Amino acid sequence: MPEDRSGALELSEETKDRLAELRSLSKRAEAGEKEARKELRRMVRSSSEEVIGRASDVGRRAGQTLARSASGGDPLVEEALFAKLDYMRAQIAGDDPTPLEVLLTERVVSLWMLTTVLEVLLASQYRRSVGEGPERLSQSYIMQQSRILESATRRYLAAIRELARVRKLQGTPPVGANAPRG
Amino acid sequence: MAWEKRERGGRYYTRSRREGDRVVREYVGSGPLAELAAEDDRTKRELEEAQREREKEELERMEALAAPIFELSEAAEILAHAHLIAAGYRRHKGEYRRARG
Repeated sequence: MPEDRSGALELSEETKDRLAELRSLSKRAEAGEKEARKELRRMVRSSSEEVIGRASDVGRRAGQTLARSASGGDPLVEEALFAKLDYMRAQIAGDDPTPLEVLLTERVVSLWMLTTVLEVLLASQYRRSVGEGPERLSQSYIMQQSRILESATRRYLAAIRELARVRKLQGTPPVGANAPRG
Repeated sequence: MAWEKRERGGRYYTRSRREGDRVVREYVGSGPLAELAAEDDRTKRELEEAQREREKEELERMEALAAPIFELSEAAEILAHAHLIAAGYRRHKGEYRRARG
């Protein structure tokens, strides 16, 4: 897939434009515009797979960058985190996922990585901040860091809900520990 | 923190601090002890400034780590919503229902 910049952690302008178009069409279709719904169906069929692929790719790279950052330069930890992310992807996506499920899985996995990294950072810095001395952190810093963590956690929980919802509405059987057997 | 010049000559070191809505000035003194106090205050200020700078950099680093994942998250939400609306659903109070007609 021709993602514009190799290794980029940002969606291309073209992908952003398509997303903006999809958002606008969804809004109009929801408001009852029949033509907009038709156009949305056409666009979902024609271009969403490519946009989904590009977004998934960016998400995967962002997750890997986080894992690299969390490993603190230890190649063994980095490999273990990469393996953990791959394992989570396989467990959550299940067999033969649709492109949309792949993207929603990537979203869950990368947000899990982000919340984990932020929680570890916050916990280690909180230990420093409760002591006295030159390493003591300011209250505003702790508050801002907590705000980023809270924002990531909220998105993480929403991502899990969204994947479950899409599966339910598309009639895909659930995967994981609670999946029906047989 | 400031050095004040006295009419009789010499300098006097003072510290200012906030007490509620008021600014209170504390007269520390003059001579070698005041020099030491001024040096101590300057070092503290520099350490605090360096600490603020470190915190700012750390927050920027965290925000830079989170930004692409937040962007992906928003993109995924738009795409999932578009798929469901295109498939004939509509959203009602946060839940999706099959649209009529």
